[in-house]
Amino acid sequence: MTVRRTGAYVLVAVTALAFGFLLATQIRTQLLVPGNQVARTQALVRTVQDLEKVNSDYRSQIAGLRGEIDNLEGQAAQRSDATRRLQDEVAGLRAHAGATTLRGPGVTVDLGNGRPGPDQPGKTSYLVNFEDVQDLVNLLFEGGAEGIAVNGHRISPLSSFSGSTGTVVIDQGNPLSSPFQVVAVGNRNQMEQQLSDPSTLGDLRNRQHQFGLALDFRGSPDLTLPAADSALSTSFAHPS
Amino acid sequence: MRTRPNQSGLHPTKSATSRGPRAYGIGLLIGVLAFVAVVQVRSQAEVVRSLEGQDSTALAFLIDDLHRANDALASDAAMLGTRRDALRGGSNQEADAQLNAEAGQLRVIEGLVAVHGPGVVITVDAPLTPLDLQDAVNTLRVAGAEAMSVNDHRIVTGSVIRLAGDGITVDGTAARGPWSLSAIGEPTRLAGAADQMTRSLRDDPRVRHADYRSESDLAIRSTVVQRPFVYGSA
Repeated sequence: MTVRRTGAYVLVAVTALAFGFLLATQIRTQLLVPGNQVARTQALVRTVQDLEKVNSDYRSQIAGLRGEIDNLEGQAAQRSDATRRLQDEVAGLRAHAGATTLRGPGVTVDLGNGRPGPDQPGKTSYLVNFEDVQDLVNLLFEGGAEGIAVNGHRISPLSSFSGSTGTVVIDQGNPLSSPFQVVAVGNRNQMEQQLSDPSTLGDLRNRQHQFGLALDFRGSPDLTLPAADSALSTSFAHPS
Repeated sequence: MRTRPNQSGLHPTKSATSRGPRAYGIGLLIGVLAFVAVVQVRSQAEVVRSLEGQDSTALAFLIDDLHRANDALASDAAMLGTRRDALRGGSNQEADAQLNAEAGQLRVIEGLVAVHGPGVVITVDAPLTPLDLQDAVNTLRVAGAEAMSVNDHRIVTGSVIRLAGDGITVDGTAARGPWSLSAIGEPTRLAGAADQMTRSLRDDPRVRHADYRSESDLAIRSTVVQRPFVYGSA
């Protein structure tokens, strides 16, 4: 009886050992073989995350400094009419540059990734790319937008769109990824017409049908855009 | 035959009490093992999934872009800090000087005044579409263009380049090829972008000519008229 029981234990132990070995091998094959690559990529991702943190901190700092400067200029304007006139003029320029919040009627557009096509492995057409966001922003300006923000990032006169697969970088900002929310304040009716027109945003609409990309919009009587928190200065272009 | 069930039922309490803890122990062990395995596999898969589509090269470019962006933001923050400190002195002369300087910068950014500086001029003879032009404008902005024009029409964010009949309009004014894109900004980056853009255009059979030149002091004289807010308010 004892011998049989010992044999059973040995059998269970050997089976468990073999199972464990096979399981470990399988996991290593499936997931850990690219372990070095994943480790390298993880190191790069950590660097990106650190830089994104620095980026966010600078943006907060810039927003805070602009607020302080605005207050100090306001105090100076109370002491002098000339300063007040100058401050009013700069306030108008800042508003048009997107350096202040903007409130009014408009539209909110939701844009999201679709699903990969079964017969198109490796293709990334189902992902929203920076050209999609750029096209949408251009369409909204064409439709009478007076100000636009993408995922809370205000578009300024120096704004640019770039990015790699599935990410969108606006100005000096952190990479954004799907879902995107584009909010525009301006001529609500005209923007809604542009967005309803099937002849606009051709590539995006094709991929909406093909891959199920999300493209929805809704009008609103009262929307608020945040102020731009990116650099609004030039170093090379000077007034003639 | 009946003895076996009876035998097995002879010490039911003893059998249950001796196997119980061991069974619970094994069950618990299996449970913990399964939990750890699932957590391990899920976390590993999560990492892989989160990195989907982000190869090392793309991440390296992203790091480069973020470094450049952070440098620009740091410079802007430092400049704003200096301005704030100067304003703390309470001098109206200082406040006026700062407001004038900022107004000057914003007029440049918003395309309200003629500007000059180092830059590039790209010339393209091809049937470009509004999307081609919008992409070219964006590419130059990504490369640090601070002021731009297309065929002497000043371009700012919000400029509308659209198809109108057989032609193209830029902010409502007709424009046609050959195209000339002028951009003022960091000269090396702009030249790099212009070089890449014209090379790529020359590979297109529709393009009859595509070239660029760098200029140390390029002038952009066209301006835009500021449109007042009709719907929005600060």
